[in-house]
Amino acid sequence: MPLNQSLKGKTFETIELTVERERVTRFAEAIGEEDPRFRDGDAARAEGHPDQLAPPTFPTVIQILASAQVVLDQELGLDYTRVVHGEQEFEWRRPIAVGDVLRATPRIADIYARGPNEFLVIEGEIADADGEVVCISRATLLSRGTAGGS
Amino acid sequence: MGAAVAFDAVNVGDEVFSVPKVVKREDVKAYADASGDQNPLHQDDDFARSVGFPGIIAHGMFSMAHLVTALKDWVGDPAALRSISVQFRAVVYMDETLVARGRVASKDEGSGEVTLDLWADVERDGETIKAIKNSRALVRLDRK
Repeated sequence: MPLNQSLKGKTFETIELTVERERVTRFAEAIGEEDPRFRDGDAARAEGHPDQLAPPTFPTVIQILASAQVVLDQELGLDYTRVVHGEQEFEWRRPIAVGDVLRATPRIADIYARGPNEFLVIEGEIADADGEVVCISRATLLSRGTAGGS
Repeated sequence: MGAAVAFDAVNVGDEVFSVPKVVKREDVKAYADASGDQNPLHQDDDFARSVGFPGIIAHGMFSMAHLVTALKDWVGDPAALRSISVQFRAVVYMDETLVARGRVASKDEGSGEVTLDLWADVERDGETIKAIKNSRALVRLDRK
């Protein structure tokens, strides 16, 4: 069953995430990030950052919450067992640090077919408490074999 | 650590990093918990086999995180990172060695921006497989 193209442009519930030290440390440990700026507030402050830095791919945490909303949207008609993560983009405006309060309103940026597969692009502009965009995340999920052609 | 690399020290065509990492089951489990991606494909061998894999696979984002760490370590300054775009092209199994690699694709004299080609390889059955390919990053380097 092809995806519902009319959901292109649909926005989802705003996600808010306070960047907590414990979560950042756990994330850094899981990816093997040993750079002290990502492990310790003092090391980051010594270079002029406000606090311990979150690794550049930390916005994944928000993206996973965003994707969960999109994937579970009954109108979309996505079969999650057919989905793989095809592509990923980040545009970084500044490093994220412990204490940041981040908000993102995910939206379906695109839905298109190529060959037998369909592609679903989920985009989120992640802003800080001042409303400044700190990162734009764009995930392309690939839905295997659903392009149909009836 | 500030910006470790100067714009003028970088040449188009240079292979600037090649960083291996052994993908361990406990790290992939830790990544599931830290990222919130609890898809059983990354944790449950029986589930992975039921959908046609020999065992669990690493999250694409786990592999990408290794690539970005290698990129960031080369650049030195996390604030120098501008953007990245990657394509996941092959799965990665436990205990495989993922090698994150980067090569300078172009330089912009005006802006100080440098574009890199990125990819990540695994060796499997005597073949080199690109788990991540056709990928690019943009960084901004200081002149010196």
